[in-house]
Amino acid sequence: MEVDSIPQQAQEAIEKIERADLVIGILADLGPNGIAMLCDDLQTLGSARIVVLQNDKDAGPTPTPSEPAGKSSFPFVLPWPLLRPDPAGDPVLNAFAAYQAVFAASEKLGARACCVVASKLENATPQWISQLIHPLLQSNHDLVLPRYARRKRAGLLNSSVISPLMRSLYGKQIHNPMGPDLGASQRLFRKILGTGRTPRANGVHPLASLAPAALCDNMQVCEVHVGARSYPPTDWSNISSLLTQFLGPIFLDIERNAICWQRVRGCAPVPVIGEPVSVSHDTSNPDLSRMVESFQLGNRDLQEIWSLVLPPASLFELRKLSRLPLEQFRMPDELWARIVYDFALAHRLRTISRDHLLKSMTPLYLAWVASYALELNAEGDAASEQRLERLAIAYEANKSYLVSRWRWPDRFNP
Amino acid sequence: MWDQVKQALIQATTRFLTRFVSLLPGMVALILALLLSIVLAFILAFIVRRLLTRLRFGERLVQWGFSSPAESPTTSAALLVSRAIAGLVIFIGFLIGITAFDAEWTSELSQSALAYIPNIVGGVLVFLVGVIVARFLARSVLISGVNMNLQYARLLSVGVKWLVIVLAVAMALEHLRIAPGIVQLAFGILFGGIVLSLALAVGLGSKDLVTKSLERDAKKQPSEAIEDPLRHL
Repeated sequence: MEVDSIPQQAQEAIEKIERADLVIGILADLGPNGIAMLCDDLQTLGSARIVVLQNDKDAGPTPTPSEPAGKSSFPFVLPWPLLRPDPAGDPVLNAFAAYQAVFAASEKLGARACCVVASKLENATPQWISQLIHPLLQSNHDLVLPRYARRKRAGLLNSSVISPLMRSLYGKQIHNPMGPDLGASQRLFRKILGTGRTPRANGVHPLASLAPAALCDNMQVCEVHVGARSYPPTDWSNISSLLTQFLGPIFLDIERNAICWQRVRGCAPVPVIGEPVSVSHDTSNPDLSRMVESFQLGNRDLQEIWSLVLPPASLFELRKLSRLPLEQFRMPDELWARIVYDFALAHRLRTISRDHLLKSMTPLYLAWVASYALELNAEGDAASEQRLERLAIAYEANKSYLVSRWRWPDRFNP
Repeated sequence: MWDQVKQALIQATTRFLTRFVSLLPGMVALILALLLSIVLAFILAFIVRRLLTRLRFGERLVQWGFSSPAESPTTSAALLVSRAIAGLVIFIGFLIGITAFDAEWTSELSQSALAYIPNIVGGVLVFLVGVIVARFLARSVLISGVNMNLQYARLLSVGVKWLVIVLAVAMALEHLRIAPGIVQLAFGILFGGIVLSLALAVGLGSKDLVTKSLERDAKKQPSEAIEDPLRHL
């Protein structure tokens, strides 16, 4: 059992609570009455013993219940500094550690399931969290993921790489495989926590490994329609670090699950609960010229690195792309899918330092973002669904390319 | 008179032959040591080459940033290393053979040559580590520069690479005790020169860019900030 990530005071509080049916980790700021509204809503779940770990960066020594909690004291809210308020600390890594802590606390309490809430939805009360919990407790799903109402320019890293990559590899149409809001069964979070060793030593990542672990073990996965997510503003100086922090664990997981995904053929949808939520249209036009300029600069200066990763045909396509004027700038889906596959393979082969590899992907990612945004500038949010479906199909169509390169990296020459 | 001349010639011939015969074992030992070292060198070179080829040493060198793929086919790097090892073994065999002459000067020569070998090994190691670090840092600077949209990213990267290589070469020469005074002076001049030229190139090259950037920052009001609608995560 992994309990290292639980602070000492919290461990004492957890020991007093003894056991729980469900643990909910709240990393997001739900507003002044958010927790109270959530607790009211949780009362409808009947006699389930629910513990809410509320992120509170100012929480001092955790208040411990004076005696084992009775039925009436549930849901029990435990303030806990899940996200460490270290200004020098990396927020993404802190968030990953928080997931780890919630899983560990759930394991310690012997919970049947746990749920992590890391985002705030637009114009929604915290009651949407109950929608994530229901499939865990009532229909015994192992992994419940949100299907956010999509805005065409939101969640671009997920739309361009994470979702279509996992869909093509593991054969299930999951829209947000890395949540960040999610529900996991005991079976799943135990698998992520591992036995005896730390998840890092297992090579298992608390967020990137969740969906692949569930799919490779044929666990029950479902999606729940929820509202549009409020995204943090883009930090343009930090895009390459973002790519490294998210794609690194995903590529590692691809390496770990190679036997599993090479057997998967085709793609099927997962059950979706609820009705799609409509959102207001995004009409703003971003400045895309700097992204295209970044790609052109990368194409000029990073050739020596890209040539170690990408085959000559892709390099030729990129050179052609870099000469296009802004209004005609379009990156073909097949090219982008193959680029992602080639980088995943180079990550496995350690063609160059993994940090360099992932950071050198930034101009290519920005080129895809610019191409996608240009294509959808005049279109509505609904068009983005069709556009991303075409991208996902391109990933699926090129999976054989990845399999061939993965099996025969030296011999296979596209 | 003739008897004395004859005697002197006989003595000289005897002395020469005696000395020559006394050198013969040493010469035979030198030839033997050379032959043995050549055989050993070939065997070692063969093993090392096979091993390095199997370990894809050439490709790894490319990965570590020593050379571009076109410069080093898979086998040539392994061949180079195996030949260097063979040369070293033959050189050591030659020194051992020289020592077999038992002459004072040959002994001193081989002793000083053998005592210098650690310096050579140390110098080569310092240089190799320097090159690895230089290439790694150059790549880091290049990628970061491109990601920051710096037009002079390549210039910065090349500058950093040569700074570190110059430092490594100076350290290696210092280790080899080759003209340390000149090396220090040359290093100071070269290092300072590179830093100055980089500063001038970047400073003058980006003067307009910095001016525009400062002007833009000064003019921009917080309320005018346009929010970027793109969201990545």
